[in-house]
Amino acid sequence: MDCRTAHARIGEKADGILPRDAGEELSGHLSGCPSCAAEDAATSATGPLLRALVGIRAAEKAPALDAMWTRVRAGIEEGREAQRRPRWIARWVWLSAAVALAVFTFLFYPTGADRSPFHPRSFDVAVEDVESEAGTVALVDKGEDLPRVIWIIEDGKT
Amino acid sequence: MARRNLTARPGVPALSFLLLLLPVLLAAVPSEAANTVSVEIGVVYASNEGTSMDPALGTLRGKLQSMFNYTSYRMLDRKRRSLAVGEAGEFELPGRRMMRATPLSAEGNKVRLSIQISDGPKNLLTTTLGLNRGGVVLVGGPSHQAGVLILIISAE
Repeated sequence: MDCRTAHARIGEKADGILPRDAGEELSGHLSGCPSCAAEDAATSATGPLLRALVGIRAAEKAPALDAMWTRVRAGIEEGREAQRRPRWIARWVWLSAAVALAVFTFLFYPTGADRSPFHPRSFDVAVEDVESEAGTVALVDKGEDLPRVIWIIEDGKT
Repeated sequence: MARRNLTARPGVPALSFLLLLLPVLLAAVPSEAANTVSVEIGVVYASNEGTSMDPALGTLRGKLQSMFNYTSYRMLDRKRRSLAVGEAGEFELPGRRMMRATPLSAEGNKVRLSIQISDGPKNLLTTTLGLNRGGVVLVGGPSHQAGVLILIISAE
């Protein structure tokens, strides 16, 4: 392996994509080439250095990030509360309206009496007075078990 | 915790509303019922067209058949009015006719009704009836189509 190829392999090794057999070949070259060995050492040290640098910067920015996340969370919670409130108000209104409707229906809905068949309890009727301008009126009484009838005879029609 | 509070809230106003509304309405109904007469009118078309008998006539079916010679009895309309003593209630009848019922003062279980039936400007009947509550009287004779109208007048 020449030094040019070795430099390319050193980069691949740092990226973690160097095959094992090529790595063994590279190790063989590095043991006999101080220049390439120095390059390998410098490249291998770059990764940890960058990670350390990022860690330091993140630690510096952590308080500002925490504050930002706190504001974001507060904003999200506020939005959720605002959505919940109208829903509960609407439910409150609907419940009240439903109860009012149920009470109204219970009290004022025409009962079955309006549609049920006639079942009179009494046929006892007193006719205090009767008159007609249109014809003759007949009072029909066929006994206590039958209803009293007032029959209007319009000018001899019926 | 907040969620539990929210779920507990809606029942409170609804229940409060119900509790407030019910006594007011329930207190109003009996006092009104005691001073009013429920006047009901059933408009029956009696004819010799067919042999139908309207089941809505209930126990009156057999009585109508035994009293009249018509073969068909059909309920055209049925109306009810709650009227205070002295308050006139108008009931529209087929063919421009109108019935006006006015409860009069009565004692105990009795109901007195002033009844006026008119056909346009013509007075067909003016009468004053005394009935037991739940009692029925029939008024018949006005011609209608191929038969006559029979009015079932009851007071409760």
